[in-house]
Amino acid sequence: MHPEPAQESDILLLKAIAARDEAALAQLYDRYRTILFGLLMRILNNREEAEDVLQEVFLQVWRKAADFDESRGRPFTWLVTLARSRGIDRLRTIASRERVAEAGAREVSEEISDAATDAFKSEQRGLVSDALAKLPDEQKRPIMLAYFDGLTQSEIATHLGSPLGTVKTRMRTGMIRLRELLAGQGESLGF
Amino acid sequence: MVHEDYKEMIPARALSALDAAEAQTLNEHLENCAECRKELDDWQATAAALAFDANPAEPSPKVRERILDEVRKDLSETNVVPFRSTSRNLWSSFGSLGAMAAAVLFTALIVGLVVIWRQNNAIRDELQQSREFVQLVTSPGARVRELKGVDLAAGATATVAYDTNGHAMLVADKLPRVPQGKAYQLWFIVGNKPPMPGKTFAPDSSGKGRMKEQMPREALDSPTFAITLEPAGGSTTPTMPIYLSSSAVN
Repeated sequence: MHPEPAQESDILLLKAIAARDEAALAQLYDRYRTILFGLLMRILNNREEAEDVLQEVFLQVWRKAADFDESRGRPFTWLVTLARSRGIDRLRTIASRERVAEAGAREVSEEISDAATDAFKSEQRGLVSDALAKLPDEQKRPIMLAYFDGLTQSEIATHLGSPLGTVKTRMRTGMIRLRELLAGQGESLGF
Repeated sequence: MVHEDYKEMIPARALSALDAAEAQTLNEHLENCAECRKELDDWQATAAALAFDANPAEPSPKVRERILDEVRKDLSETNVVPFRSTSRNLWSSFGSLGAMAAAVLFTALIVGLVVIWRQNNAIRDELQQSREFVQLVTSPGARVRELKGVDLAAGATATVAYDTNGHAMLVADKLPRVPQGKAYQLWFIVGNKPPMPGKTFAPDSSGKGRMKEQMPREALDSPTFAITLEPAGGSTTPTMPIYLSSSAVN
């Protein structure tokens, strides 16, 4: 089976970036800036920090595009993993643990300049939103606290006042359920 | 700890939620376990989907400018060849022997500059072709086909991109060297009709090959692509063998 054209095109863009093609990097940025910046805003809750990390992420893509291995996953997964990892590193560096108090209640409202040109339309968001809505809150909260707030399982146990073993079980069960719910949506979601 | 214990830790690892000691233990296991590495890749794809739960947001246009400024600086730094002038005192200090040494150095410098100039030209050409390739594959209605090497060229790969007007580009890698008087030739196959000939090309010394092509109109309808080894001037019907071909038409 052939990959979807957008995926094929992402792979080719990364190959062109590895060959030091500036225009290809600009195209990749234009395609993913809003989803990655939205993710970084959710993690950091600070526009200046999020923009700084977004810049770091794309400069890392510029330097490391040759390391992308298409046999290990899709470009989207690689980019999101890179951005989230950098975002969590920054979060831990600035040690804003007071954020824990407001974790889970945070919402970021930003305008999208041109939704029609964005690679990620409401369809993908709807799929993930529906899947998360089907997870019991006790499974969803540990996952969200880990993903967006960078908390470890021990920190989550303390934050929720639950035994560590319970947190581990709920996180794992929730992730398995999430994977089941998203199964078959890989092409739409870019993985 | 047994293999299954490590596997159970992987979903949490994909969320980077393991505590430091557990993360280190799992990382050591991952170095030696391909199955768990694959498992982690799969879980990371699931975790990445969570990014859709964040509201997309628009960064300042200055971020794009800053990124591209850095990239241009990087490109200009890697293309600059530092040149150091030789002091006149060197000549007087070493007399004719110094002059001879300087002449040798000067000759080496000229040869070096010529080599770098050629390399720069080659890199510039390659970048230009890469840009054209990206423009082609991102144009409306563009299609892309991957070709894989068969027995005689196992490991070789090629990509053909083409648009609705038949403008096509081929990029190939890891091609075996061609014997003297021979060249690779691209073919378009539609259904049970005879293969339609494309242009010929020769790979460089590293096995890379690039070519622009104008596809026949009748080849635009779900073609299969094949590459064979032919006489340098090309053939009107393939004389075999097939070196690369695209998979079944979808």
